[in-house]
Amino acid sequence: MVPRLTIPSLTARKLPCLFLLFVFIICVPDASAQNKITLRLTDWADLDEIPLDEQALAEFRRLHPSIDVLYEPNPGRQYEEKILTALAADEPPDVFLLDSKLIPTFTNKKILLDLTPYVRELGIDTAQWYPNVLNIARKGTALFAFPKGFTPLMVFFNKRLFDQEHLPYPSRAWTWDEYLSIAKKLTRDLDGDGAPDQFGASFSNYYYFWIAWVWKAGGDVVNPAGTAATGYLNSAATEFALSFLVDLQKTHKVAPNTGSWIQSEKTGINVQLFMNGKIAMMVDGHWRLPRIMRQIEQGNLTVGVVPLPTRSDGIRTNVMYESGWCVPANSKHPREAALLAAFMAGEKANRIRAARRLEIPSVRAVAEEVVAGDVLGLERPFVEEIPFCRQPWGSMIERFSEVEWTLQDAVDEVMIMGRPLHETMTKYATTIDRQLENIRAHQSFDFKPIREHSDILRFLVGVAVIVTLLCFMLYLRDRGKARQATRTALGFLSPSLLHLTVFVFTPIVFAGYLSLHRWDVVVPDKPFVGLDNFRDMASDPTFWNALKNTLLYTLNVPLAMAISLGVAMMMNRRLKGVAFLRALYFLPSVTSFVAIALVWMWIYHPTFGVANFILASIGLGPVQWLNSTDTAMVSVIIFSVWLSLGYQMVIFLAGLQGIPEELHDAARIDGANNWQRFWRVTFPLLKPTTFFVLVTSVISSFQVFTSIYVMTGGGPVRSTDVIVYHIYQAAWEELRMGYASAMSWVLFVIIMLATWIQFKIIGREVEYG
Amino acid sequence: MKQIRRLLIYGSLVLIALSMIIPFLWMLSTSLMSELEVYQFPPRFLPSTIKWSNYLEAMSLQPFGRFFLNSMIVAGASVLGQLTFCSMAAYAFARLRFRWREKIFALYLSTMMIPAIVTIIPAFLLINTFGWVNTYWALFTPTVSSVWGIFLLRQFFLTIPRDLEDAARIDGASELTIFLKVILPLSKPALATLGIFAFMGSWKDFLWPLIVTNRIDMRTVEVGIANFSNLYATDWPHQMAAAVVVMVPVIVVFIFAQKYFVKGITMTGLKG
Repeated sequence: MVPRLTIPSLTARKLPCLFLLFVFIICVPDASAQNKITLRLTDWADLDEIPLDEQALAEFRRLHPSIDVLYEPNPGRQYEEKILTALAADEPPDVFLLDSKLIPTFTNKKILLDLTPYVRELGIDTAQWYPNVLNIARKGTALFAFPKGFTPLMVFFNKRLFDQEHLPYPSRAWTWDEYLSIAKKLTRDLDGDGAPDQFGASFSNYYYFWIAWVWKAGGDVVNPAGTAATGYLNSAATEFALSFLVDLQKTHKVAPNTGSWIQSEKTGINVQLFMNGKIAMMVDGHWRLPRIMRQIEQGNLTVGVVPLPTRSDGIRTNVMYESGWCVPANSKHPREAALLAAFMAGEKANRIRAARRLEIPSVRAVAEEVVAGDVLGLERPFVEEIPFCRQPWGSMIERFSEVEWTLQDAVDEVMIMGRPLHETMTKYATTIDRQLENIRAHQSFDFKPIREHSDILRFLVGVAVIVTLLCFMLYLRDRGKARQATRTALGFLSPSLLHLTVFVFTPIVFAGYLSLHRWDVVVPDKPFVGLDNFRDMASDPTFWNALKNTLLYTLNVPLAMAISLGVAMMMNRRLKGVAFLRALYFLPSVTSFVAIALVWMWIYHPTFGVANFILASIGLGPVQWLNSTDTAMVSVIIFSVWLSLGYQMVIFLAGLQGIPEELHDAARIDGANNWQRFWRVTFPLLKPTTFFVLVTSVISSFQVFTSIYVMTGGGPVRSTDVIVYHIYQAAWEELRMGYASAMSWVLFVIIMLATWIQFKIIGREVEYG
Repeated sequence: MKQIRRLLIYGSLVLIALSMIIPFLWMLSTSLMSELEVYQFPPRFLPSTIKWSNYLEAMSLQPFGRFFLNSMIVAGASVLGQLTFCSMAAYAFARLRFRWREKIFALYLSTMMIPAIVTIIPAFLLINTFGWVNTYWALFTPTVSSVWGIFLLRQFFLTIPRDLEDAARIDGASELTIFLKVILPLSKPALATLGIFAFMGSWKDFLWPLIVTNRIDMRTVEVGIANFSNLYATDWPHQMAAAVVVMVPVIVVFIFAQKYFVKGITMTGLKG
């Protein structure tokens, strides 16, 4: 006889006490009193830069012993997400590095401290910085950041390749025609297979790279006021520059096809080819210098730097990418934070950081020291370009990144889909006009200056009260034995219910609240906007496109399930080495997603990838994979199937284990063949498992995000833009949390319907069959 | 005939396995290459000289020892939590009869349908209100239970024949006894599956650990790997080396958990 056990500790009656206890535990105040001021500082320093920043901060601590600095670097790509969540929680670091493209958003929303009073009070010499670099963070008389460093775009050229062809090195005042003719001379077919394998030029169809060419041609993408694109994006000068660049790759074939822009940016293919002597002239920023310097020091490379060529009329305008140190408006120690920001942007810190050669130091004196100490002469051309540097639109217009995506689509449509230039630019100019108008309409928002963000606690308490009340109701409705059963059930459910209440229900209810409000994430105010978010969605054609793509993507589910069930059936037997194979199939699921996605971007490379290499060896291809609107989605689906095969296989295997062998034996005795045994015995008994895999796969397919985010960015020309990626962009790039929440609710309803249908059709039979 | 079938099965398994392994071979060989050798065409499958030092450098450029410790703690807590929380809830949904059971289960399931990307900010606000930023609490508490796991176990519990527990119930066993002594021992494959996925889920999680921690010594392995890619470039050899090292514990866990499947297979095999 088994001793009788009940679960006395967790019953419905005690749930409220549990909540109270929980709230008490989490509300214990942090009572660490300090007399020394501690400042937090964040930047995106990479692994080589971190020690230099630490060295600079050590110097700061030595000079200001009453201030301590906590250094919190974020080397990866998710720096913006970090800063935004910190601001949403009203816990920003006291000093942080800001890319100039966030300046308009942050200053419009008044979340940066105006540093002007501190310049006077602390006696900071603003003349130490290059004036046009400093001015990027100036709005009227206010100053919102001290500049750290910056770069224009330049041409790096491989001297050895020039020497081989007996070509003179390009001069400062070269023209586009010279650039093209040199590129032609340097493009060679070395192995004689009829296709060039050494290229004269590089071309990245990434907005940040081609905008400088447009400016040099005398064109622009929007009008000088930044209010419209028509007449500028489709002007003769802009189109001249774009067709020149497209022709480098398409007509003259002097630049390699480096894949979609996201593919070439993330894999760093251009710089890799340049360092291997496969590209003679590469357009890039100062940030490439550390890697190139390493190869120069190892004797693998000799390099020169010249400005981008000018068009015949000699306009030398270049673009300037800058970052600066800023202080949030609500810093508890604004004076000390301003002091730290000025120090990090100042001469001492810049001198320490200059060892890395990542950028042009913002301090003129240090930049000149670097030039003087550079025997290779790589730095001087950069510094000479400074007077011609112009600040990018992104640092002047709020949410300009949306326009950048559209510009990306416009160029991709010409590059990838081969559409006529003028018509495409005219079409997209109209789109951008509307976008800019929309952005302006949203900008005029007078938010209430509320200080605290933490209304989330109210949501938690509300949800907790509702859940507790519901449990009570459930308990009280029954009498006698049924009540006993409910009590037991609630006991079993209470741990997960508690967890759900805090970490799932509360955030979801909060998102529901947001869908009817406007929330800019970094501003606490959340004005009620009714159904505006839903109306915006209905009138947004890209939303409907994303919905269509999501449905298309979901088609991978039956394919993936069929393959993984087949594999699981084959694995579910005693074969030699099957344990090893099983582990092998599971490998994709256990690998770091970041790393394996990068590998696949290389596999999918149209010119240098393994997939096309294999296809070519059997006489097929080349396929453009991620770099074509026709194949990008299929490529992502192949990747997803590959990735989820092992994971589904494991679940199917576990399910197959539950099927007693006796049933198979019985069927075999009855003379059933394999096929019959599968359909009559295995499949029906495996139904709960199959059903589980189906439901969860459909849900996660509707929510596909990471592979799109990493591999395609929704492109080319939004052919892989899916709903959750759309939601991500609204929330994290456009800071429209309300809109993002509204889209999530629509997605919720869609998934709910899809799941409900599955339960109706298959589920009922499964559960009680 | 049997030979041919066996050959066919082996053949297709090996063929799919090949497509599974090629990316890893490439990952492995890149992790041993010099910076210059990465990305050559025609593709280079083997490094000209093997640079084992990449591994040493990858592990020492960042405090990877600490990252491993953090990931172990978080993944361990997540596995223990999910095995307990999920199996309890799944038992209630699969085996107990109570009012609103299907409604509550639907409510549970519906929470899977809101994308995490929208709930991450409110979740972070909560963690911040609790004062948990930069603590292990922030890292593991959101992962100690999952509706996915509850659903998985519920489906498996549904397949267990009722005869066994009915017998125990007649003997006067309580629900907890049935749960612990009858259902759980019969669900080892399912529990092993959930264990693997819980471990993997938190081992591979990236955005959440990044957002709830500021100090480098509270970061996890996946964040460490991502740190080799920055805004300017990707350090391929070191990133791949780190990814290879980080994979090892998960493979070990998989092989350990796999024993439960294999055991089942060999036992039934012996009978036949």
